[in-house]
This record gives sequence, C-alpha cells and structure tokens, in this order.
Amino acid sequence: MNGPLSLIAEITHRCPLHCVYCSNPLVMNGKGDELSTDTWIDIFQQAAAMGVLQLDLTGGEPAARTDLVELVKSARESGLYVNLITSGIGLSEEKLEQLARARLDHVQLSFQDADSGPADEIAGATVHAKKLEIAREIQRYRMGFTVNIVVHRRNLQRLPQMIALAEELGAHKVEIAHVQYYGWAFRNRENLLPTREQLDSSLEVIRGAQARLEGRTRIDYVVPDYYAKFPKACMGGWGRKTMLITPSGEALPCHAAKIVPELRFENVKEGKLQWIWQESDSFRRFRGEAWMPEPCRSCDRRTLDFGGCRCQAFLLTGDSNATDPVCSLAPAHNGVEEMVQRVNALHSSADDGSEAASAKHAPWEYRQNPR
Amino acid sequence: MAAARRISFLSARMSRPVETSKPRLAPGCRVSDLPGRNRVLLIPEGVLQLNDPGVRIVSVCDGERTFREIVQMLQKEYGSADPSRIERETADLLERLHVRRAVDF
Repeated sequence: MNGPLSLIAEITHRCPLHCVYCSNPLVMNGKGDELSTDTWIDIFQQAAAMGVLQLDLTGGEPAARTDLVELVKSARESGLYVNLITSGIGLSEEKLEQLARARLDHVQLSFQDADSGPADEIAGATVHAKKLEIAREIQRYRMGFTVNIVVHRRNLQRLPQMIALAEELGAHKVEIAHVQYYGWAFRNRENLLPTREQLDSSLEVIRGAQARLEGRTRIDYVVPDYYAKFPKACMGGWGRKTMLITPSGEALPCHAAKIVPELRFENVKEGKLQWIWQESDSFRRFRGEAWMPEPCRSCDRRTLDFGGCRCQAFLLTGDSNATDPVCSLAPAHNGVEEMVQRVNALHSSADDGSEAASAKHAPWEYRQNPR
Repeated sequence: MAAARRISFLSARMSRPVETSKPRLAPGCRVSDLPGRNRVLLIPEGVLQLNDPGVRIVSVCDGERTFREIVQMLQKEYGSADPSRIERETADLLERLHVRRAVDF
C-alpha cells in the first residue's frame, strides 16, 4: 500500500462560527483533549517521512490555536506543503505577517455568501465584514489564495455575485462546493439541498465564469452527489490517499468516519503513523474489494469510485457495507430519490429570500462548540 | 473536503505563451525539493507530476526569462531532440499550467 499523499490536521474543534453545513462531527473534542504543539510537530515529521506532500491545517478554526504560527513553521521545515483552511476569524494583520514569515504556502478562506445578511445567518455569527478585511490583508503576501464558498439552496441564486466577490478579492482559485451531508450538514439537509433547476442554472453560470476567467482565476465546482447517477470516489478511496487526525489524535480515513460504530480507530499517541496507515484494522477495513456487496463487487466502476462513501452508506442505511445510496444502482437508492423529489416539489427554483420562501424552511440547527 | 464530481469546462480560447512572455510560477506554487524523491510541482491542495524536462521548465520560470530564452535553453540542453517539438511541448506544458493557475505570464 502506498503511503498517503495528504494529511488533514484537525488541530482543534473550537470555532467562533456555527455554520449550519459544518462537516465536523456532532460529537467533538474539547480543548482539554487537544494534542500538544510537540505532538503535532512529531506527526508532521512522521508524515513527511512517509511521503506525505500536502498538509491541511484545519479544524474547527485553526486560528483558534495560539501555536498556529509555530505549527506552520515546523510543518514547512519538515518538508510539507502547508494549506491553511480558515474562516479568517482569529487572524489579523500581525498574524498573517507571522504566517508569511513562517512560509505558509496557501490560505483557503471561507465565505458563506456574497452579502453579509445571509452570510451571517448561515454562520450564526457576525463575521462577513471581518472576512473581507482579512481577504484584503492576504493579498499583500505572495502566497496561494483560494476563496471557498459552500453553496446550497439558500444561496445558489447569488452564485454570480459570489464569483464576482472572489474575483474582486483577487483569489487565484475559487472553490465553489455544494454542501456534503455529514455532521451538522446532515441535520440541516432538508433546508440545504438545491432543486434540480437551481443546479442546472448554476452549471451555466459556472461554465460562463470558467471561460471568462481562464488563466486568471481558476474555478472548481463540486456538485452534490444526491443528484449524481454514480457515487463520488470518496477521499480517493478509503485509506488510499489521505489520513485525517482529529484534535485528540485519532487517525481517521476521513472527517466523518467516527460515526461508523463497529470501527475502532487508533490514536497517534499510541502508535506510529506508518503502522496505523499500513496495518491497522480501521484503515484496512474498506481497502480492496473483499468487503464489497453486490452490485459493487461485479461493477465495472468499482475501480473508479471504490463503492462510494462508507460514511454516507452508514448515515442513510445503518450499514457501512452497503452500496452508497446515491448510486442509481444501490438497493437503497429510492430513499435518496424520495428526498430529492420532496425538495423539488416543495421549493420552486427561485428561493428569492422572501418571507414566503423563508416560511417553508425549518429552523436551522446551528453548529455547537465542543464542551 | 471529499471531492464529489468536480466539473470543469475548458474554453476554446487557450492561454498560450508568446515569445516575449515571461512565465513565472504563480503564488503558492513551488517545485518540491525533498531528498531521494522525484521532484513534483506543488500547488494549492494539489500535486502535479512532471517529467524531467517539465521540472526543468518550471524551475526556470522566474518571471525574468522570456519564453524564447527558455526554449533556446532547452533546445541546447536537449540537443538531439527536434527543436520545433521542444518549442511546441514547452508551450503545451505552460498552457496547461496556466489554466491550472500554476504559472502566470
């Protein structure tokens, strides 16, 4: 088994925002359980020795950690390419300068919308204005700069304005990503799933913007797999490309894997990364094809999508082995179909933010902070 | 974030370097320099594998050398290869990297 290409370091679950689509687990690590600076530095060194090239510093909000600059510096010294995945809240002029001196390679800054009203509603906090300030500061440094915007039924109609915002902020890359239904996003999915018509219109907008901005701003668009015919190759396959480490040190193949009840995950405080990756039961569990049920086991696509997402299979069917229900060939596919049809029947394509439109939405379940 | 069905459409208009272009690695893009490892181009949340000439090309994209100078340099270094092929393939690579936003010119 080749080593992972990337390491996702969830250095904290603390976050000043409460985004309704957060993919963090519902049960989070508290501050007292967080790994020390030295432990993270050792993890970075082990990862680099295993051949990991890319590190994502994320959370929660990574800037909530006071040792962030030191972690970036050490990660770079280990030979890793360092991406900071941040809401911007907790950063400052001074901190950005320190991060630049620590040789941070790339910042991915999230925005929730083009306008502060809906943005702050989704984030459950007054943050949009501060993000704009941080974005302008980032441009002063020669580092990669991506604007990340999570899209869903409630903001898709402002896609052109969101692209324009990213362009105005000088982002080199814009990642426009549909909500994926895990964690808090799963709780709010009835409010978030776009209509088919919204999705179709959005593809036109994206196509046009990609052509217009080619060579200047790269636009990546990630569509929701509930509308797909076949499942995504989740994480590039279970335990194939990426290892994620939680704030308390558990090594997972992805951010959602803890919901699978029969799996026992290793902790980096007790085992070496190399052993965890190669030998541990949890990482081996869904590698290869032996675990696959039909129709996956005989399916021509099994080497393309690896049977889809195990966590999604568990979330939607209670069985982590099941064919990913978003797949049109999955026995449990009708559950996904029913939800899609229900959302399309209930909501017209123009969710115009009016009172009438808002009245059709259930109250948000906001992301809580860990205790 | 788990990647679900990335969509991208390339327009008919491609970004190709001209003789006087001065290609430069974009912010956040650098060639890896790890002992005992193949050199790759590291970009925001991504890794681009390059062959040896490709690594050579991106290593000299410093925003000072022109495309013409880079091609001449390669034609000298790869003396046995067809010079017009070198020029075409260098332009091809830089075009692809430009679209990926890894090289500016």
